[in-house]
Amino acid sequence: MVVFTKEAIKKTLVEIVEDLIQDWGIDLDDGVTEHTLLVNDLDFASVDIIQLCVAIEQHYDRKIGFQDLLMKDGSYASDLSIAQMVNFLVDKI
Amino acid sequence: MSTRTLFIGMDGATFKILDDLTNTTDGKQPVMPFLSKIYAEGARSKLLSTPNPLTPPAWVSLMTGRSPGNHGIFDFIRAEERGDDVFFTLYDSRDNKSETIWSIASRQGKRVAALNFPFTAPPQKDLNGFMVPGFIPWRHLRRNTTPSDLYDRLKVLPEFNPKELAWDFEKEKQAVSDLSDKDRENWVRYHLPRERQWFRIAEYLLVEETPDLMAVMFDGVDKLQHQAWLFLDPSLQTGEVSEYHQRMRKLCMDYFRQLDGFIEKLISATGSDVQVFMASDHGFTATYEVVRINAYLHKKGYLNWKLMPDTEEAARREESMFANLDWKNTTAYCRTPSSNGITIRIARNSGETGINPEDYETFREQLIRDLEELRDPETEERIITRIFKREEIFPGPAMKDAPDLQLVLRDFGFVSIKNKEPIVEQREEVAGTHHPDGVFFAYGPGIRQGKIIDRRNIVDVGATLLYSLGLEVPSNFEGQVPESIFTEQYLAKNPVVIGAATTFRAKDEQAESMSEDEKNKLMAQLKMLGYME
Repeated sequence: MVVFTKEAIKKTLVEIVEDLIQDWGIDLDDGVTEHTLLVNDLDFASVDIIQLCVAIEQHYDRKIGFQDLLMKDGSYASDLSIAQMVNFLVDKI
Repeated sequence: MSTRTLFIGMDGATFKILDDLTNTTDGKQPVMPFLSKIYAEGARSKLLSTPNPLTPPAWVSLMTGRSPGNHGIFDFIRAEERGDDVFFTLYDSRDNKSETIWSIASRQGKRVAALNFPFTAPPQKDLNGFMVPGFIPWRHLRRNTTPSDLYDRLKVLPEFNPKELAWDFEKEKQAVSDLSDKDRENWVRYHLPRERQWFRIAEYLLVEETPDLMAVMFDGVDKLQHQAWLFLDPSLQTGEVSEYHQRMRKLCMDYFRQLDGFIEKLISATGSDVQVFMASDHGFTATYEVVRINAYLHKKGYLNWKLMPDTEEAARREESMFANLDWKNTTAYCRTPSSNGITIRIARNSGETGINPEDYETFREQLIRDLEELRDPETEERIITRIFKREEIFPGPAMKDAPDLQLVLRDFGFVSIKNKEPIVEQREEVAGTHHPDGVFFAYGPGIRQGKIIDRRNIVDVGATLLYSLGLEVPSNFEGQVPESIFTEQYLAKNPVVIGAATTFRAKDEQAESMSEDEKNKLMAQLKMLGYME
């Protein structure tokens, strides 16, 4: 069984996000880091978050199910940091 | 090598409009002269759409030769019931449980190009050819375009503009929103350059790559007809009309004239040996009233609205295209306007909200009676003319994901899910809505000239495209080749052959194809783990 470390997941996620936003014209001083916020820093809309989830699932070649990350107490998350996503993925994969 | 089969999709195209735009009686110059030639020299029929005549299930049925109960795509938005919550997300190609014609042709060595078809993203890994998916925002086109170098090749094409080409979710909401006159005019204008972008890619791939099957879909037809039906429907062009009406009509005619030119150029680019097929996923008609179905279900005690704070975010959620309800106190509801369906909430586990599973049939019968009672106060006519139980129209392994009831409104309109009264309200102005009868055309060598055949089914198109490519039609296709559109000589030389069933299996379907022995073992394991009673 393949074990994914937190560091490896973070590296993968950063790469996926960088690949995703390469044509968007976004200029980040420090690049994508664990503190980067998807909505606030990268101008993600809800459809972009869905596409990111698809990209992550494709990378790991499995359905992960992001419901618990995206929805809390009946409301959809208004923003997510890379670190939040990493922590979620550590528990999921 | 030359392209053998060309398929042109026209989302929402209807004979109601096309007959008018190709009319040559009294020496009239038609708006679509090339399509008029296809009327004369090709074959055509009405094409029955899926039970809910909607882009997602209908295009996927066209691409798979199978009905929604088998492929599992029912709407744009997929919902997951989670006890006290419902999680909404978007369907994508991975939710399709049936193999597409792109895949079937690819694995038999045919090269395909498929442009702008919905639910082709993320793209399949083993495609032999080219795919640029539809209904994907420009920001995600690169990642969802295959092969991986294609996007960079397209980027250097003259005037290539991904923002103009791709689906814009914010803009698309306008298709079914009340727009000001100016916004409506801009909406129509927006689709002219957009279609040109798709045409240019199709033309480029035809010339540079000559795939065996070239398929491109133009979805502006649908978008225009939603907002501009008033200016398109020939029966509404009578009497004195405003300057604005004339301008809008002209703009719509410009769109269809341009589309006609694209059809002609694509056919010319393929050469004279190509067989051409064209189809729409559904037809169109006029809707004249708004039916607020969740407001009606609320009145009947089936659902409760979620109390929302007075914030901008809450207002946005209220305006979204999926239901926002007090789930703990909701037993039946409509998820999205496009679904035209009612979902019954069932408490599968102790403590969950919803009806008890054993009460399902009784509950559903009462719900049907209540829906039948929604009537026009003046005429007593039923507002919901047909109510289908899901097993009647969505048989298959994916039926569990379908709405429990599928509704057909008296004007074929889509329901509203807004918390607003009155429940039924006349529109200030007619708008366009989907009708079950779409269009199907065939043209080229081996096709009978001027032939009009009885209505076919949308699942027949996939079978026809495979046949045209010289491939067998998989035995598990529900669609059949409409042999009467082909000449006797062509059929004699190219008999329709039914071949092996498609090999594609989604994970769910694999589970259902387990042997009884395997199922029994799995059930025993689940019971041991405490997952089953």
